[in-house]
This record gives sequence, C-alpha cells and structure tokens, in this order.
Amino acid sequence: MMAEFLQYVITGLAVGMVYALIALGFALIWKSSSVANLALGQLVLISSWFTYGMLVQAELPYWLGFPLTILFALFLGWIIERFALRPLIAQPILSLITVTLGIAYFIEGLVHFIWPMSVAALPRMFPKEPIHIGPAVVSQEYIWAAAISLVIFGLLSLFFKYHKMGIAMRATADDQLAVQACAIPVTRVFSISWMFACVVAAVGGVLVSLIGGITFGLVETGLKSFSVVILGGLNSFVGCMVAGPIIGLCENLGGGYLTPLIGPGIKDIIPFIIIIVVMIIKPYGLFGETRIERI
Amino acid sequence: MNLPCGTRNYDYARDMAILRTKTHWALFIGLLAVVAAAPLYWNNYWLGVANLIGITIIAVTGLNILIGYCGQLSIGHAGFMAVGAYTAAVLTNRLGFPFLAGLVCSGFSAGLVGLIFGIPSVRVKGFYLAITTIAAQFIIIWIINHWSVTGGFVGMSVPYVSIGGLEFRSETSQFYLIMGITAVCLLLAKNLVRGKVGRAFVAVRDNDLAAEVMGINLLYYKLLAFFVGCFLAGIAGCLFAHWIGFMNAENFTLADSILYIGMVIIGGLGTTIGPILGVIVIRLLQQGMMFISPILESAFPALPAGFATGLGPMVFGAVIVLFLILEPRGLAHRWMLFKAAYRLWPFSY
Amino acid sequence: MRKQRSQVLIGIAALVLLIAALPLVGACAPKPPVEGGKLKLGLSICMTGVAAEKGSPMGHGKLDCIKYINEELGGVEGYPIEVHWYDNGYDAAKAATIVKKLMDDGCLFFTTNSSKMMASSMEIANRAGFPGMACFSSPACTHPPQHIYAQMPDYGDDWAAFAKYYMENIWDGDGKPRMALHLLNNPTGYGARDAARAGADALGIEIIITEEHAATTVSEIDSLTRIKGENPDVIFISSTPAPTAIILKNAYELGMYPGIPIGCAHASFTKALVDLAGADIAEGVYGVYPTVAWGDDVPGMAKMIEYCKAEHPDDEGNLDYMTAWAEALIDAEILRQALTNTDHEVLAKGDAAAWEATEMNGFRNVKGYDVEGLHGPVDFSNPEDHRGSKSVKVFQVKNGEIVAITDWIDAPLIKYEDFEWFGK
Repeated sequence: MMAEFLQYVITGLAVGMVYALIALGFALIWKSSSVANLALGQLVLISSWFTYGMLVQAELPYWLGFPLTILFALFLGWIIERFALRPLIAQPILSLITVTLGIAYFIEGLVHFIWPMSVAALPRMFPKEPIHIGPAVVSQEYIWAAAISLVIFGLLSLFFKYHKMGIAMRATADDQLAVQACAIPVTRVFSISWMFACVVAAVGGVLVSLIGGITFGLVETGLKSFSVVILGGLNSFVGCMVAGPIIGLCENLGGGYLTPLIGPGIKDIIPFIIIIVVMIIKPYGLFGETRIERI
Repeated sequence: MNLPCGTRNYDYARDMAILRTKTHWALFIGLLAVVAAAPLYWNNYWLGVANLIGITIIAVTGLNILIGYCGQLSIGHAGFMAVGAYTAAVLTNRLGFPFLAGLVCSGFSAGLVGLIFGIPSVRVKGFYLAITTIAAQFIIIWIINHWSVTGGFVGMSVPYVSIGGLEFRSETSQFYLIMGITAVCLLLAKNLVRGKVGRAFVAVRDNDLAAEVMGINLLYYKLLAFFVGCFLAGIAGCLFAHWIGFMNAENFTLADSILYIGMVIIGGLGTTIGPILGVIVIRLLQQGMMFISPILESAFPALPAGFATGLGPMVFGAVIVLFLILEPRGLAHRWMLFKAAYRLWPFSY
Repeated sequence: MRKQRSQVLIGIAALVLLIAALPLVGACAPKPPVEGGKLKLGLSICMTGVAAEKGSPMGHGKLDCIKYINEELGGVEGYPIEVHWYDNGYDAAKAATIVKKLMDDGCLFFTTNSSKMMASSMEIANRAGFPGMACFSSPACTHPPQHIYAQMPDYGDDWAAFAKYYMENIWDGDGKPRMALHLLNNPTGYGARDAARAGADALGIEIIITEEHAATTVSEIDSLTRIKGENPDVIFISSTPAPTAIILKNAYELGMYPGIPIGCAHASFTKALVDLAGADIAEGVYGVYPTVAWGDDVPGMAKMIEYCKAEHPDDEGNLDYMTAWAEALIDAEILRQALTNTDHEVLAKGDAAAWEATEMNGFRNVKGYDVEGLHGPVDFSNPEDHRGSKSVKVFQVKNGEIVAITDWIDAPLIKYEDFEWFGK
C-alpha cells in the first residue's frame, strides 16, 4: 500500500517535471509577447526529429549533433517570428492564436514530408537500470529530465531578472509602446523570445523522446503542458515548475486510485478536467497575474 | 456598397431585406432551381459530396456565430458535433425515436453541453477560452469512448432517416433533406445576427467591457452564443451520423476542430456567406486531393514517401497563415470587393 | 417598363441555359461505360494523412501486385483488372464519399487498408449490398456478418490465438492462469478486450485486471504498479509499437519482466517495437502476427521481393507491403472464382446484381486458397465467419530479431453478435 503510494508519488513528480520543462517554452513566449503558442507540441516534435536526423541518419557524434539541434531551434524560432508573427503585430489576439494553429499544421506537414516514418528511436543515452528509491523505481531519463528542467528554470529566471534583454522582454509584455519610446527594438525582443522558446522546446523534446521514442504523441504531451501553464499561471516560470509536478501527481495518484473505481483510462483525462476546474475557480492560475482590463 | 446604385430604401422592411432587388430574387430562384435539379445530373458521388458540404455548412455557421460574431474562440467544435451525432445515434438506434425528435434533441443536447463548457467564457477570454474548449473536446470524446451507452470504442450503427414511415435510403432523398435543413439553419442564423441578439454579439466581440457598461448582459449573451453555436453543431452531427451510418468517436478529432476553424477564417469571420464559401473551398480541395494522389503516384513513382502526405497539411497551414496576414477578412471580403467592382465598373470608386 | 420586361426575359433565358448546362457539370463524373473485357476493382487507400506510414506501403503493395497480375499473368482468366483507387487521407468523411464513388464507377468490390476507414465505409456499403474487403479489420466490421469480409484475423483473434498458445505451451500450473490486459484506448486495444470478455471462460483463463493507455503515453508505471499488485501470470498488450515499448521498459524497471511472460498483438509486433524498447529489454517477448516474416521461404516471396525492389525499393522489409500484396492476390482469386461461376456480362454492368454475383459466386467460392504461402490459408465459404485467414503464427524476440516459434495456429471464431454488450 505504502509502496504503491510512494511509486505513484515519485512517478508523478518525475513526469510532472517533464511537462514543466515543455511548459517553460510556452510561458517564455507569453511572458515576452503575450502570444499564445498553440504550435508548442509541433515545435517539440520537429526538434526531436531533427535530433534524430542528426544523430541517427547523419550519424554525427553527440557533441556535434546536440549543438546543431540548438542552432536549428534558434533558426526555426527566428523564421517563425519573422515571417508569420511580425506581420501580425498589432492584430487582435484571435488572429495571433489562429496563426499559430496554422503554423502547427505547417510544421506537422513538414515533419511528414522530411521524415515519413511515424516512430523512431533515439540512441539510448542513459543506462537502463532504474534508480531505486525505497521500494519505488524511477528510470534514469526522468532524473536527468528533472535536473535539466530545474537548470533551465534557474537560468531563465536569472535571465529575466537581471539580464538587460530579459528586463526588456518583461517590459515589452507590459507595454510595447513605452518600450519603443525607450529605444528598445521590440521586433528583436520578439525574435529572441521565440528563439529561446524553440530551444527550450527542443531540449524538452529530446528528453521526452529519450523516454518514449519520437512519435506524434509528442504533440499530445504538448497539449498536456497547456494544463500546466493554465494551473501555474501563464506568465510565471515559478508557476510552471510548481504546477508541473502537481499535474503529474494528480495524474498518477488520481489514475492510481480512481481507476479501480471508475474504470481504466481516467488518467488521460485528468489534466483536462483540471483545466476546466481551474478555469472556473481561479482562471489566472496559482501564480499568474490577474488581468485588469480598462476600456 | 451593399446595394447597386439607385436602390433606395424607403421603409424598414426594405432596409432589412435579405433579397432586395429583382436581380437578387432572380439569382436566388435560379440557385434554387439549379440545386433542385441537380440530382437529375449528378451521380451518387457528387450528391454525397454535396451532402457533406451541406452538413459542414451547418456546423461552420454555428462556429461562425461563436467566433465571428461573438468573438469567443472555440477549438472544440468537433466535440460538440460528436455530442449531437451520438445523441441522434442513441435515440434512434437504442430507443427508437423518430428522426425529427432525434434531430431536435441532438441540437438541444449539444447546445446544453456547449452551454456548460461555455460557462468559463464569462470569466476568461481569448487563449484561456481556447484551451477550455480544447479540454472540452477531449473530455467529450473520452466520455463517448468509455460509456457503454454510446457503444464504447466499438461504435454503433445508425439507422436510416425515416420521417413518417418514409425512409430516406437513396443519396438523392438525403440530398433534398440535407439541403432543406441547411437552408432552414442558414435562415435561422441570418435572422439571429440581423436582429437584437446579433448586434449584442457584435458589441460583446468588439469590447465586452464597454458592452456591459452599456447594459448588455454578458452572461446571457455569451452563453446564448455558445448555445446557438453548439445547437447548430449538434444538428450537423445528427445529419452526419445518419449520412455515414456508423458512428465512431474517431470521426471527431482535434484535427477536425482545427479544420472547421480554418474554414471559418478562410471564408470570412462575421459574415453569413463566409462559412458557405470557406466550406465549399476546403471540401472541394479535400476531394481534389483524393484525385491528385493517384495521378501523382502514376506520374512520379519515384517521389519520396512523405511527399504527398506532408504536402496537404503544409499547404493548409500555409494558406491559413497567408490568409491571416494578407486577407484577414477572408473570401467573403473578396466577394464583396468583387461585387462592388462589378457594380461600379468602369468607375473605380 | 420595357427595361423590366427585357430584364425578366434575360433572367429566364439565363436560368434555362443554366439548367440545360447542368449535364455538362454532371459529366464531370462520367458514368462508367458498360464495356466488356475488364474487371473493375475499387481501392480506398490512406496514401496521405496521419496513417500514411502504413497506408502508403500498403497502397504500393496492392498496386504492384495488380501490375504483376496484369502484366505477367495476363490478368484474371485473360481479363485485366482495372483499378480505381482514391486516397482517403485517413478521414472518415472522405472514405464515405470514396465508397460512393467506387459504387458509381461500377467496381465489383472495394478494399480498405485500415479498420477505421472500413468502419466509415461499411454501413454505406452494407446498405447497398456492395461487398468489401478489409485488409486490417476490427470485430465491428465483420460482426454481425453482412457484406464486409476481412482478410486476416483481427485484434480480438490475436488474443484468442495467443491465449490458446499460452494455455497449451507456457502455462504449467493448476487451475486458471491470471491474465492482465493492457489495452490501447481505441478499437485496436478494445478488440482484445471484447475477445477476452467473450472467450476467456471457454479457454479457462481468468482476466484479473484490464488497464488502458493512450497512444501518446510517456509513462505507464502507475498502471503497471496496479497490475503488479494483482500478481498476474501473464500479460497481454494490444497496442501499437510506441506505447508497447514504454510498457516493456516500465515493466523492466518495476522488475516484472523478465519474469511474467508478455504477449503482444500484431499491431505492435514489428521491428519498430524492438528498436524503441531496446533489443535487450524486448528479449523474449511473445507476439502474434498473421503473416510470415519478410524473406521466409514461401512460393510467393520471390516475386514480391522482385517487384518491391523494382518499383518501391524504400518499402523493402515492410510487412505492410507484404500484407497488401497478399491481399491483392486474394482479390484476384475472388475475381477468378466470380468469373468461373458467372457470365462476364453480368459482372461488367457493375450494379447491384454484379455485386451480389461477386459475393455469392466469388467470395463464397474461395476455399483454402494458400495465398502463395504468405499467410494462412484463406476461406470465405462460411457465411457466419467472414474472416479470410483465421490463423496466426506466434513469434518471439530472440537476439533482437523476431522469429517464428510455431506454425499456423487457428484463432477460434468468436460470435460477438451473440453477446448483448457488443454494440450494434
């Protein structure tokens, strides 16, 4: 009984950190340009496939393949911002969200185009022996994913708090006009935020692919990360890191104990139920800023 | 710009008329005649495509009322269609309800479900609402898959439409039925947006705080928008169920929801003719893809495997992005520009 | 006044011209000429769309095989097969329109490559009496049996065959073995559950727990923890390669495997599974598959490999290509039987009478056709059992390779329609 509980808790935390990592990319874009990036899952997907292409198809060594993936993610973010989002800078939010939907479709088609296989495996990077915490087990990839997501969270928080560009990003999210008056190039701010977000998505994608292989399921994992950002608050990194494990815990504990009662499959739907509940109770999430609208 | 030169409106009825001039009436009667005569010359396949277009027009009109007129972004429309479809399936298959009762009930059930999932719209908007509707889509499909009443994963079959003992077996009979119901729904939608409710919707879309200050009850109108939009989705779902004959939850995926949004955007948000144009263009493109693949395969057998697969979504995504950047008001706007140019030719102003 | 009248006259003239021009529009979809000398076969292939990775090699397999039949064998009894194929893009609505188009084209029967596509097309086909063949099928397609036939056993039959093999070869305790099911949350997975529900008692197996997973799962530790708590003797997974790989890895981490034998259904048991899970973790996993492995020594293998290398070298080694090739061979056999038992004029019309002739004289007369050894013998003569091949082979992963460990095992027929919990 206790062993089961411990196992659920550990697995929930581990899976939650993975969700949090992907959610960081989303929060990054929202924090700097107030654009909702519905193409998050697809960005994760294409970065993972690119890594596959580098490591397996081109057979490059790790120290060359990964930096190339980062470069690719930077390039991808720049292209998306430059050609799809910059023309729409002052448009209503509906257009911005829908254009990311269009980008999502486009990227998915591109993935089909270049890599017609629907599943692929990255070469195994960590030993397969799981780590034992008491009676519970957790595989090594999760530990690495949690560690890397904490590192990225730390880096991003410091960047946003102390680095000049980070402060500029926060200012842009607050008031674009004032930022332009201060001679900060808003377009460059957007570019950099998208580039960073793509890099974070790429890192997240590689880690998830190491766990489960590269499949179109990465898009669904992206959707579950939405529940993390909603719960944590759209523009809060701390919110992501806290909400990620919470969602993971709810999923595993809820799935663990409710399945015998309700029936199998309840685990899949728990993140979405959480979204609805959060929407009704506290729409801006645990750590998000409440929007105050003025006419 | 909406009327030809020299047409003056001397009373309210004429001002509000949908068909104002004699040319309008003539063209409309012509359209009716052509549509009514179509089954004489079209075979089952084209009638089937026309049926599919009619069903989608109803669903997308509902979505247009939600997104275009009231500004509530909803990416879960396929889920609401599924509610309507399964209601119709369960009522006609398991409980033996007649078709018309099933039609109305499926509309209402989808509308009620839409109402429930639209409650957050009073508190949030924009992206938050979009995520809520995505969650709604997944929850609805999950419930359908796991509930024994709806046949679980196996699915369930749906009997023929039968009104008063007359069974609609052939494609032609279904064509007349679907076209008739589509016309009624379009008229309903048009009248809704022409009147007080439509004006309230537009006010909510443009600035809901200002609308509330002016006395428009946000709760009532936002929920009404969800109800009407999902009611139409439910009706479309019911017709879809009877048309395909076998219901399976895999027919209503998130990709379908995004497809409907694409249709609304390409057609033109916030216009009545927008959904019609968008649906016709996209459905015909899809059918065209069907025919192109064999031609591509035989002409270029050496194409890489993922070429045709990737091309479809890439083109669709690119078209959505281009439309939003270049022509955010969609094909309906282009159509209005064309009409204006036609009326004013050779003058350009 | 004059202007008004001339306007009305112009309007009426335009209308009449428009209606008169309708036949031109209708001619865009030409009616099939009643010509002799050809046999029309309709294919609904998911060449594009999310399932294109399976659908595309299957489409290639079918088309190459028909090309082989037409060019080298001179068609069926001298009549070339005319293929009408359209791409359904794994979309239900398109599949519905395609089957109507195939009926209009006057095809004698149609085939699909995926159970979802068949589910969308079958009601329309059943109502019109248009026979259909499902390459991959699910229990809903063939139960209750109407006009749809399945080439191979479905996912429920996989379970039945594995259960039979397990009872006879692996289980050596007393009483009933305790089996746990881990299912994908779609008809693939639930086919196994329905079969288990219907047939477990008869085989003497107790299903102690059923777990479900999504195709996009990243971790199944929680569900496996529950399964572990119930102490099963055997686990059966009915899913696709990616989630099955995750389950295997998690089972290894929890210490359940190696230890508890694991069996997989054919949807997941391909090389992709071994790659994703890792050859060391997947070692010793059982699986069922309804065809032979690529390169096995059977009569039909050489010709298929030759055409695959020539026409579509990227598909080499792809079992879906082989399955579709075998299916086209069966289609030719059905047409052959239909021709020997009916007049060609009846078939050339491509109408309801032709369809009935194809079904009664063609399908029903296919008995014990060996499909050149590519999979189990095909028999459509039993009106209650619309599965063509009823047998599978049990395979096992040994040293990273999937090898067969049995010969053909028959999966017993389960009459789902007799159970009231089976949706109709």
